[in-house]
Amino acid sequence: MLIRSKGQIIKDEIVTHGLLIFFSLIMIFPVALSLMTSFKTKTDVMILPPQFFPPTWTLEGYRKVFQSDLIPIYMPNSAINAFTATFLTVILASFAAYGFSRFKFKGSRALQMGILGLMMIPGVTNLVSYYKLGSQLGILSTHLIMILVYTGFELPFGLLILKNFFDAIPIDLEEAAKIDGCKSLQVLWHVIIPLSLPGVFVASLLILVYLWNEFLFAVTLLSANEARTAMVGLYDFQTSFEVAYHALSAASIIVLLPMLVIFLLGRKTFFRAMMEGALKG
Amino acid sequence: MNRKIFIWLISPTLLFLLVIQIYPSLYSWYLSFGKIKGGVYTFVGLKNFVRLLNNSDFYESLGRTGVFTIAFLAACIGIGLIVALLLSRCTRFTGIYMTIIFIPMVLSEVVSGTMWRWMFQQSFGLVQAFLNPFINNVSILSKPWGAMAVVIAASVWKQLAFTALLFLGALQTVPKELFESAAIDGATRSEMFWKITWVIIRPTVLLASIMTTIRGINALGLILATTQGGPGASTMTEAVLLYRTAWQFGRFGDAAALSVMMFLINITLGAVYIRLMKDH
Repeated sequence: MLIRSKGQIIKDEIVTHGLLIFFSLIMIFPVALSLMTSFKTKTDVMILPPQFFPPTWTLEGYRKVFQSDLIPIYMPNSAINAFTATFLTVILASFAAYGFSRFKFKGSRALQMGILGLMMIPGVTNLVSYYKLGSQLGILSTHLIMILVYTGFELPFGLLILKNFFDAIPIDLEEAAKIDGCKSLQVLWHVIIPLSLPGVFVASLLILVYLWNEFLFAVTLLSANEARTAMVGLYDFQTSFEVAYHALSAASIIVLLPMLVIFLLGRKTFFRAMMEGALKG
Repeated sequence: MNRKIFIWLISPTLLFLLVIQIYPSLYSWYLSFGKIKGGVYTFVGLKNFVRLLNNSDFYESLGRTGVFTIAFLAACIGIGLIVALLLSRCTRFTGIYMTIIFIPMVLSEVVSGTMWRWMFQQSFGLVQAFLNPFINNVSILSKPWGAMAVVIAASVWKQLAFTALLFLGALQTVPKELFESAAIDGATRSEMFWKITWVIIRPTVLLASIMTTIRGINALGLILATTQGGPGASTMTEAVLLYRTAWQFGRFGDAAALSVMMFLINITLGAVYIRLMKDH
């Protein structure tokens, strides 16, 4: 019944929040445990029964990670690949999205559907070809192959988000600007770009997080140590650091921190994109 | 004139897609019909496919993919819907809950896999230790059913925000007046859910189901990072089999044939998805 007594309303509130708090604790637990583990000593990681909080707090794990290649080599590689590919994707996708949004031609709708269809094909089915083509061209273990693959892979997604944004900008605004004597390029510069900045921002954030975290292409296409990304490096730590979980946890925390900060700063953007169904995960 | 501008605007994207997506897809078809030895390609017809279809690994992996995908789908949709309903009922702290539920989604598969492995580490894993009295100290990750359950739980944990927030978005489109008039007519809560809410969010649930199915079938990174397909082959889904066939055993022809099979499964599901999108 919707018409509820005051007692009923309070009871409902308690149940709702109780369940949500319980649920949030489950969701955050793996992250919290890693954070705690990252501050343990090597011996405290291996005490029985295992503890949640570190008996003694230490930065030993972090020190170990700082001596590895993660920070000087792997993280910069991740950053170069992810930022360059995001930049390229957003630029190219903006052009295409603007084109699809403003000019209607026969077949352009079919073309768009085709591009969106590409989004449905997961990367795993192309792994073998990328590897074979990359080795034929001699570009395995380079930034170039990662940037090309990432850009090609994220373009349909960028296009989808940006086109939705452009579609929402009223065409009248452009026409008004033209009547006022603006040339096409001036319209783009003075009207379209400022209005579409929020869309570009959203697309960039979502793509950046996805590419920073990307693992499959990186692990198959990058074998040379100096070309590895943070995710590939971390995957290797898993085997080499088997019981040194304090160091492994510290490495995980360091690697996830940049994207966590980006997410926390732009979380409203992520929520909105997700509620509208525009996020791939 | 307009046409020229249009072509200039879209051709860089089209060119990229042609080279990076379409050509490699076709190339994996080409590889799947051949054999590469010493850098020389020889056409072998359907040999790779025949070998694949005569191999019990293929069917066993297909079964595991089925188990994984069904459990993953059911949990993502079911729990996602419950969380969305709870969130839609709450007026305070919604942002905090949403933020926490979303965090697994911005973590990478490798980081997530590391976290889940650690929780179930056989001697020092906290969750393993907690469960020990109930399960006779059996190491969960060393048992086929246990490893599969952990991989499924980790995947659901990571993907849950996707369905939960998508459903929350759909729930917010349900007009409040409908509930008010239903309440006046004396409808119970469950009647209201099934007759009003469910009817309105059903298309979204359907879309989310297909996307989640596609993700389940192709899940790879998190499984690799958590169990690497083990113990034995107990979490070796089709995607993991494909990965191991190529990079562990170096059988690229077989892997390409497997890629083509997965491509066909995906394209079928994708077609259904786009069909639903259009109707939506």
